[in-house]
Amino acid sequence: MAQQPNHPDAPKSKWPFLLLLTFYLVVVVFPFFWILVTSFKSSGEIFGDNAFGVIPENPTLDHYASVIIDKGILRAVWNSLIVSFTTTVYIILVATFSAYAISRFEFKGKSVLLGLVLAVSMFPQMIVIGPIYNLFIELGWANSYWIVLPYSSITLPMAVWILVTHFNQIPLALEESARMDGATPFQTLFRIVFPLAAPGVFTTAIIVFIIAWNEFVLTITINSQSEYHTVPVAISFLRTQFEILWGEVAAATVIVTIPTLLIVLFFQRQIVSGLTSGGVKE
Amino acid sequence: MKKMGLREFLFILPILLLIGIFSLWPVVQSFTYTFFDYQLNDQTKSGLYLNERFNVDVYNETAFYVERFLDRSEIAAEEDQETVEQVVEKLNNVTSQFEGKEGVIEIDNELKSDIQESYTVTSEAINTLSEKYELQREQELPSLVKDLDNSLIESNFIGFQGYIKAFKDDRVHTAFINTFVFTIVSVAFELVLGLGMALIMNKGMRGQGFIRTASLIPWALPTAVGALMWSYLYDGGYGIVAKIFADIGLIAEANDLMQTATGAMSAAILADIWKTTPYMAILLLAGLQTIPKSLYEAGSIDGASKFQQFFRITLPLLKPSILVALLFRTLDAFRVFDLIYVLTNGGPGGSTETLSIYSYKAMFGQTNFGYGSVIVMIMFVCVAIIAIIFVRVLGTNLMEKN
Repeated sequence: MAQQPNHPDAPKSKWPFLLLLTFYLVVVVFPFFWILVTSFKSSGEIFGDNAFGVIPENPTLDHYASVIIDKGILRAVWNSLIVSFTTTVYIILVATFSAYAISRFEFKGKSVLLGLVLAVSMFPQMIVIGPIYNLFIELGWANSYWIVLPYSSITLPMAVWILVTHFNQIPLALEESARMDGATPFQTLFRIVFPLAAPGVFTTAIIVFIIAWNEFVLTITINSQSEYHTVPVAISFLRTQFEILWGEVAAATVIVTIPTLLIVLFFQRQIVSGLTSGGVKE
Repeated sequence: MKKMGLREFLFILPILLLIGIFSLWPVVQSFTYTFFDYQLNDQTKSGLYLNERFNVDVYNETAFYVERFLDRSEIAAEEDQETVEQVVEKLNNVTSQFEGKEGVIEIDNELKSDIQESYTVTSEAINTLSEKYELQREQELPSLVKDLDNSLIESNFIGFQGYIKAFKDDRVHTAFINTFVFTIVSVAFELVLGLGMALIMNKGMRGQGFIRTASLIPWALPTAVGALMWSYLYDGGYGIVAKIFADIGLIAEANDLMQTATGAMSAAILADIWKTTPYMAILLLAGLQTIPKSLYEAGSIDGASKFQQFFRITLPLLKPSILVALLFRTLDAFRVFDLIYVLTNGGPGGSTETLSIYSYKAMFGQTNFGYGSVIVMIMFVCVAIIAIIFVRVLGTNLMEKN
């Protein structure tokens, strides 16, 4: 009996695993659940007797109203969408072209370029903040959507890295035969290579979007006006001088978790394949 | 592979521009900042001045007021009248030498000594006169006159002094240790837990999609948002996690979690583990799935136990995945900013202040870009060392995959 564990689904070994798995899921999901509960509690309940109660005694939508109407959290969500979407579009364009070149052409300094991309992905982000801040103040670009340009230093290396892996998986022979049939280089690119690379590009786009969606330091330093705050920054400002407005924080967190949840729900397959092709050697 | 022509070069031009302007130039610039006493809120240090400079505006303004306040009608004796004349003449003489210029300019030695002389003459005159007469704004005059001297901006080039200061700075030492503790502890936990999770997820059970979704949300959620969420759960008064920890005896009192040094550091580490273990698990799961099942079958036929299989088959074959995941996670943890900035802001008493938090506070709290950059450079060197160690261990694997 004891000699049976080589079977992955051996019934004997299933229970402890299921238990561990449940524990894991509870730990991962619990904070969200608790925030959801809190967002419906009145302030009296959050700070009072029912602070540790699971069910709100007098469920209220006040915090949502306050966060949406007074604190303009939707404005921040909108900013986040604009900034993340713009970043994704231009980064994907730039990264696709360069990854294609790296994957297909021989050129001087290619390994230097790759090494550089890898090195940039390892920089402490703090290193670019000071000079970029000064540059933006000088150009008058502080408090504007130009912030998407320095986003490149955190998104571009990752994007290039993933895309190079994808392009390397597309057989060169396909391009060669297209050329034999008389296609121009650009026709080859747009008719053969890009359609084949599309899934990889899409995967990369989602990862870039999420990285941009999470960005914090650049925005909080350079876009100091609340008009241009993105979600992470806006949420960190939901406090008065002496206290954090937990009810509003909870409501805002629920509101911004929804888009994140949707992205993950719809694109989990792409996210996983992107993360693993960017991070793990196969 | 084809050689690259001009047209193909256009493919990589955009990336070169972007990386050049928004990644490499700032690094070089930061490195330059470290050699200057560069402070944005101090007029005499708000630029990188290799040579001495002269602030025309400050001089002109000061001269204007000095002249106005030396009201000649009050001054009776003739010789004193003369002194005033002298001062005014001296000031005008200097002013005439840089007429039409404004802002901060470079100057030659002659003008420099003229300016210094005008300062000496004026301050002496003011001293003598104020003893005899009731001058306008007598209290403020000395400090006003001092601005004549201040209009000369000395070079704020300090060479390696910033680095020397940092090496002696206790706050840097603490931040350095905090960063290392945070990195090592959280990455170690994430690796072990992540590997465990990956092994479980690799069993191929039902509901994998759900498990994956649940695992990805903490990773996809903005760190700042996650950190704020945790700071609520950790709160001593009404935070559920703090209460649970106190109830099961992990901490003596619910308040201890955020208000003691160890508590706050553990809290930060725990929040990081929550956020990134699932990510680690997914990376390792991908590695696990590339290991052929047949190896395990062969192993079990040869009578290897589960443990032997894990240590003889799984770990060696998973090593490259583990190392790559470890490298990127270590660097991420080393650079940690958002999480701690929002959760504890370095407190209590600097006990969770990491290098990036300190450098940020130096740059944007104290507007001391020079010293902030020194701390960033120290981080940069550490990151490079960590990366080199990993790449050595990894061999050329990292680059070869392309």
